Amino acid sequence: MSIVSVEHVSKDYMLGKTVVPALRDVSLAVGKGEFLSIAGPSGSGKTTLLNLVGCVDTPTAGRVIVAGQDTARLSERALTELRLRTIGFIFQSFNLVSVLSVFQNVEFPLLLQGGQTRKERAERVLALLDAVGIAEHARHRPSELSGGQRQRVAIARALVTRPALVLADEPTANLDSETGGNIIDLMKEMNRRDGTTFIFSTHDPKVMAHASALVRIEDGRIASREDLDAARLAGGR
Amino acid sequence: MAPRRDAARVLLRIAFRNLLASPVRTGILGAIVLVGALIVVVGSSVLDSIDRGMRTSIQGSLGGHLQVYEARSEGALELYGGLRGESLLEPIEDFSKVKAVLEQVPNVKQVVPMGIDQAMVATGNAFDLALERLRGDVRRLEAGEDGPELRRDYAAHAAHVRRMVQLLRDEIAQAREISDPEGREAAERKSEWEALQRAATDAFWRDLDRDRYGSLEFLENRVAPLAMDTAFTFLRYVGTDVDAFFRAFPLAEVVKGERIPTGQRGVLVGKQYAEEWLKLKNARRLDQIKDARDRRGKRIADDEELQRWVRENRAGIREILLQLDPIRADALAQELRPALGAPAAEPLEALLGRLFAATDESFDGQYRIFYDVVAPKLRLYQIDVGDTITIKAPSKSGYFSSVNVKVYGFLQFKGIERSGIAGMMSVLDLMSFRDLYGYLTAEKAAEIRALQKSMGAREIDRERAEAELFGAADGALVGEARVAEIDEGALVKRREEERASAADLAAHVYSQEELEHGVALNAALILDDPRLLRRTEGDVRKAIADAGLGLKVVDWQEAAGLVGQFVTLLRVVLFTAVVIFFAIALVIINNAMVMATLQRVKEIGTMRAIGTQRRFVVTMLLVEIATVGLVFGLAGAALGAGVVWGIRVAGGIPAVTDLLYFVFSGPALFPRLGALAVGGSLAVVLLVAILSALYPALIAMRVTPVEAMATED
Repeated sequence: MSIVSVEHVSKDYMLGKTVVPALRDVSLAVGKGEFLSIAGPSGSGKTTLLNLVGCVDTPTAGRVIVAGQDTARLSERALTELRLRTIGFIFQSFNLVSVLSVFQNVEFPLLLQGGQTRKERAERVLALLDAVGIAEHARHRPSELSGGQRQRVAIARALVTRPALVLADEPTANLDSETGGNIIDLMKEMNRRDGTTFIFSTHDPKVMAHASALVRIEDGRIASREDLDAARLAGGR
Repeated sequence: MAPRRDAARVLLRIAFRNLLASPVRTGILGAIVLVGALIVVVGSSVLDSIDRGMRTSIQGSLGGHLQVYEARSEGALELYGGLRGESLLEPIEDFSKVKAVLEQVPNVKQVVPMGIDQAMVATGNAFDLALERLRGDVRRLEAGEDGPELRRDYAAHAAHVRRMVQLLRDEIAQAREISDPEGREAAERKSEWEALQRAATDAFWRDLDRDRYGSLEFLENRVAPLAMDTAFTFLRYVGTDVDAFFRAFPLAEVVKGERIPTGQRGVLVGKQYAEEWLKLKNARRLDQIKDARDRRGKRIADDEELQRWVRENRAGIREILLQLDPIRADALAQELRPALGAPAAEPLEALLGRLFAATDESFDGQYRIFYDVVAPKLRLYQIDVGDTITIKAPSKSGYFSSVNVKVYGFLQFKGIERSGIAGMMSVLDLMSFRDLYGYLTAEKAAEIRALQKSMGAREIDRERAEAELFGAADGALVGEARVAEIDEGALVKRREEERASAADLAAHVYSQEELEHGVALNAALILDDPRLLRRTEGDVRKAIADAGLGLKVVDWQEAAGLVGQFVTLLRVVLFTAVVIFFAIALVIINNAMVMATLQRVKEIGTMRAIGTQRRFVVTMLLVEIATVGLVFGLAGAALGAGVVWGIRVAGGIPAVTDLLYFVFSGPALFPRLGALAVGGSLAVVLLVAILSALYPALIAMRVTPVEAMATED
């Protein structure tokens, strides 16, 4: 059963009076527990595809179905609600709320969701901070952390609501390769531990290598889809 | 709902932390809000207090709550005078009809007749006063009284007059040197000079006892007019039913003397008018110096005006010396020497010079000595309680009317004693007002008929009026010419007759009916419940229309004319200033918030992406600015309250001008902090703050989650 289903989706942007097609008739299904990498050069449509899947944008044509819901039929409020409950986001430039502490940044989605006691929230947040290896910085502000540490906080924030799907837009682009590798390892670990589906975009071949599946995009079209795990199984040992 | 509460809590936290995160921006916005709240609190507190002061001053002194006057009047009623002098009002022919109708209107407690005008009052001169004293002695002696004390007074008073004659002769001798002896009026001048020479001779004074009345008449008619300092001053008065006036205006009080007895003729002279125009100049200047020092913190050492007053006081000693006969002068010198610590032989003139040479250190002591030692021996006011004064005014018919009235007392309005606006006002009985105004009362008509029987007397009366109208120099000549033709004995008799008839008139008690059946120019209405003023105003209008009285109705503020518009003017000024201030504040706050919002687009986008609803984002922004508004607004209001309190503790805002004295209803304004001022200021700053955050909020609302994805390359 796929958590995300993209069916014949096109997305056009208006640039002045010219229509710029960002995606042309794209179809993609992402199964539960996948660790999917979307690769392609700048301007190929990676981010547009992620935005559609992440319910922050809606398609010009075709359907995007996330966790069983057709995003084109949802109101702005319902889309926001869907993002809150179902999707976690990891951004290229971390995007933490600067005035909140590490702990509070991670707690933030839980507060938006509501329905938990302070103790439940604290346990969940601390467990995650521990899992991403940043528990000792819980009281720090994001500005006091390094890039890698910040991205760990962002991962914790994305996972805190136990979303079905985590989207990461170039999560390692602002990090050096060692740190970036660590972050990908961490994401992968989380993917394995909880079975959370990850979709991330990248143009770094080293990062792609970690993915369970790789989708290549060129000029708004899906150029290929490889199942790396299957290949690894076939090629390795 | 728990989810909402959690979300609200975290959004508040972000909002507050954002404020703290940019202290400069928050500080600037806060300062604007604070100053705004401060201006509104202080401004409206002061204004409200001024409004209250004005209300007290106007309603309590002349205005009452409503005023009515003849609708056909050319001008509008201006109780305190306008730019062009007194209001041009048509008379209300019969006040009793107006009163009968208006008293029936519900909520009308009292209807007070009024007629406001200005008249001339002769203030007399020192010569006249000295002669008057001598005449008193002569009368007692001629009546057969005698005794060492009377003899001593008589001698002293005669010596006083003689000294004045000498002074006058010296003065005119100097004048003669520069005048042309062959000129047109040379003959009159010569005769004057001869009269003066005669009065200055030893022989004249040796023979004083032989023909006391004859000598007095000579001095009064031939010599006194040469002392040209006979002056007129203008008296502003309200002719009214005096008893009703005091009932209607609780601020009015008699400070010296007594009220005019019910139904009688008389005048209560405005205290402040007396201070400014009738008081001995030296005493007045001492008062002014004291006032400037005590109330305005001026010092003689470094204030030019005070120094000038001190100089003028030293030059004004002659005026005091002229008032003193030798006995009093001697007594005064003896008292002054020890008080001033002067050597035993120092003459009075030098002593007074010492007294008036004030410095900041010595002033208070000298001021006390003046009032304790010198003042009791002087006539401090040219017109004083107990005097009978002649008031003249051009009547309706074009002639000058004049009435003699007794000064029963000095009048002031509590709280606004020193305001020239109300304090200049004197109160005159209604009958005298009508005489001056020129509407014939039955009594006056009878008197004129009686006068017509003795034609000559009437002519003299007319001549004198003209003479005094057209100037003292001419008057002296005409008077003298007439006197030359008339037997002096007859003149004395005529004068005695006049005195007798004036005494009759002064003692006459008029009935309430006589007072009310007659002319008034306007009427003040006092209400039982002033809060119902507007409704009663309507009722009064209707009653006037129903009865066909043809009167115009105005409220107290309008009746006060220019003065009444002062508060309205202040209100407009404050309102305009506040509006301009907040318009600027709105632009600044709006700009700052737009900048802040644009800086946070990515953060807002992130929050939206991870599931924050739009309305939370907008709420967050509004909470931010509302917090600034509330915190700094409260601080500003508190600071404003502090300023208001500080003003009160520091002795209020001093009333440095007449107008302010009146408007403040006292020597200083003590602003009172109103709950409305504080609440109003908070409401205003909050409203402005939120209004200025609406556009930035709109920008924030339009931020999409996509913005969060925007990469930095």
